[in-house]
Amino acid sequence: MLLQISEPGASPVKEGCKPRVVGIDLGTTNSLVAHVEDSSPIVLGGEGGPLVPSVVHYAKDGSIIVGRPAQAHALASPRDTLASVKRLIGRGAKDLAGIRGMLPYELVGDDRAVRVRVVGSREVSPVEVSAEVLKELKARAEAALGGPIEGAVITVPAYFDDAQRQATRDAGRLAGLEVMRLLAEPTAAALAYGLDRGSVGTYAVFDLGGGTFDVSILKLVDGVFEVKATGGDSALGGDDLDRAIATAVLQEAGVAVTSGDASRPIIAAAVGEARRVKEALSDSDAAIFRVAGAVTGGVAIERTIKRAELAAWAQPLLDRCGKACRRVLKDAELTRDQLDGVILVGGSTRSPVVREFVATLFDKQPLSDLDPEQVVALGAAVQADVLAGGQQNVTLLDVIPLSLGIEMMGGIAEKLIHRNTTIPTGATQTFTTYADNQTGFDIHVLQGERETADACRSLARFTLRGIPPMIAGMARLEVTFLIDADGLLQVMAKELTTGKESSIEVKPSYGLSDEEVERMLMESFEFAEEDLARRNLAVERIEAERILQATRQAFVTDAAILVPEVRAAGEAAMTRLEAAMTGDDHLAIRHAIEALDLATKPFAQIRMNRAVGAQLHGVSLEDAAKKVGA
Amino acid sequence: MPAPAVDAFGLLGLAPRFDVDAAQLERAFFERSKELHPDRFATRPVAERVAALSKSRALNDAYQLLKREVTRAEYLLAHEGLTIGDNERIDPALVMELLEEREVLAEARAKGDLPRIEQLCESMRARRRAALDQVKTLFGAAEALTDEPRKAQLADIKRQLILLRYVERYLEECDAALDEE
Repeated sequence: MLLQISEPGASPVKEGCKPRVVGIDLGTTNSLVAHVEDSSPIVLGGEGGPLVPSVVHYAKDGSIIVGRPAQAHALASPRDTLASVKRLIGRGAKDLAGIRGMLPYELVGDDRAVRVRVVGSREVSPVEVSAEVLKELKARAEAALGGPIEGAVITVPAYFDDAQRQATRDAGRLAGLEVMRLLAEPTAAALAYGLDRGSVGTYAVFDLGGGTFDVSILKLVDGVFEVKATGGDSALGGDDLDRAIATAVLQEAGVAVTSGDASRPIIAAAVGEARRVKEALSDSDAAIFRVAGAVTGGVAIERTIKRAELAAWAQPLLDRCGKACRRVLKDAELTRDQLDGVILVGGSTRSPVVREFVATLFDKQPLSDLDPEQVVALGAAVQADVLAGGQQNVTLLDVIPLSLGIEMMGGIAEKLIHRNTTIPTGATQTFTTYADNQTGFDIHVLQGERETADACRSLARFTLRGIPPMIAGMARLEVTFLIDADGLLQVMAKELTTGKESSIEVKPSYGLSDEEVERMLMESFEFAEEDLARRNLAVERIEAERILQATRQAFVTDAAILVPEVRAAGEAAMTRLEAAMTGDDHLAIRHAIEALDLATKPFAQIRMNRAVGAQLHGVSLEDAAKKVGA
Repeated sequence: MPAPAVDAFGLLGLAPRFDVDAAQLERAFFERSKELHPDRFATRPVAERVAALSKSRALNDAYQLLKREVTRAEYLLAHEGLTIGDNERIDPALVMELLEEREVLAEARAKGDLPRIEQLCESMRARRRAALDQVKTLFGAAEALTDEPRKAQLADIKRQLILLRYVERYLEECDAALDEE
């Protein structure tokens, strides 16, 4: 039996009336949502315009703040205010070694998936953080369209690997969205351009965002959008330029910058100022970089930055872009002269420094008549409409960005599907045993261009067992890779000579397990009807109940060791807590709980000491702890 | 690359021959894609969606196979019962020559001599072009032949394709070397 991991192509959209679907650009710096109305896409606005900063703040009281209000907390509590989390999604500690020191967050987790520690002890995965941003966009869209969203197309950098795509899809599910499709950002942009301008020909899309860089070559003809090749760097963007500027200016001012201290207020302030200056330099030739002495702890920095200096700092980053562009042209078997145009996408392409670079690189004036920050969401909305049965004059032919293969003896990566293959696609290859009486095959699924397994990304590992002992080279293992229209991979394996059936389950070796996603989904559904304050209120009331009951019981069972003053203070605190519980201020309840804790502390201390004493006399600490209601 | 279960040329509505006009092939692919792409079936019942996915996959794989001249030629030969294994032999002198050329490339790579690498790769690309032109001529001539003369002709094509495997491997190394820049 062939292993069927999941049935692809299943779509949530109901037949009949036209469903409410949206396109979402989940960006490193900003996110936005768009919708097709009367066959043309529009972005959906909200308070402060359509762009929602992709920033999530975890407050001490447990509440979660998203977008512009969250940004306000960035300076005061950089560790609890997560920005640019797209750089972490679907990534392990090893992947992030290069940028770890530059992020102000406390990263935990292993080589498979990182988490961020916020408000002291809470650990959140990048998937959860992204889901918060998506929930905000979903809420905006529902408010704008007047009803629940039935499906969404979410864009990802073309150069995202399978792990990053899976994680993004999980974030969508976690936000309660039916993810109809993951769409490559440059492809989405080309879609918006193609429809808006009626463009025909071969175009390069140069997409430089806050944290990712993509370049794609597309052919647009007669309603077909064919991606010829795609490339890029999923860890390169405007953020890097901000840090480069900040580092240069600080070092010049005699402030030592070492990796690992990105949470220092001076660094955070300098990076923020660098971004402002960079943006200011889009409209003028010089801007003043200013950081107050109060922030730096003495050293006030004030200095003029010229556009030429910005260009010099940007050069190493632009060189990396240039290299990716040359490679993608080669993959598409084209020269720059054969291109009909170059389309600019992403906030970072607003900078004249970037524009001049692109113009020189491709030897043509780039196009930016559609807003580079909105065009991706607009294209995603078009694709959502297509999938929902709307426009039928568009067919998108996308590719996988990175080769897929398996590990062979000696750690060699054998490619089954090469990068830039049109999807959906599949490939089958037969392998054999290398040792006599080998009864199992270890299958290690890889993604990447490098020749050795350890240099590629590990996507999954599994073992096919139950092969009868045979001499080396006799067994025939057939491995099949299937890629669906989202670019997501399924792997199947069977042993041919014996016809023996074996089934294997492939678990992605990254991100969240299905159980985790299910659990979090249940939690989010549980609280979907309540707003956050009500949720917090419910949690605090339950906690208050528990503490009141435990304290009352302890006052009875251990009355002998209860000092009168402590009893009086404790009872007063309990009365105040009961009063707070009748109100609907969860913070008031929290404070009353803390006050009760404080009032009964001497009593609790004695009981704890007794419990420890009891432990020494043969009672388990666990029992003792239970008895004291700790 | 294994042949798709369904005839690749048939899927694209083309006659099975080596000499294919690239623009015509692309047009055929786009037209069939419009009919078969899974996006077209997103709102259809599950059975239709699954069928569309597998047809679309077969179409993409067929196009991929026919787009590249080397795989197209190998596919046509496979239909004539001539497959190219992993350990095919060609003229030992030619093998020696090719191995020596790879050593020259490896040396240039070790020295980081980019202009030299470019030059070597360019001459190998020219060689690839010449071999493919030869394949095209041979296929053209084979169309008019039957029986033994045809078999001999196909065997000639096979020799060219084995040579092309060496050449392609060389060009892969070129790509890797130029990527290092």
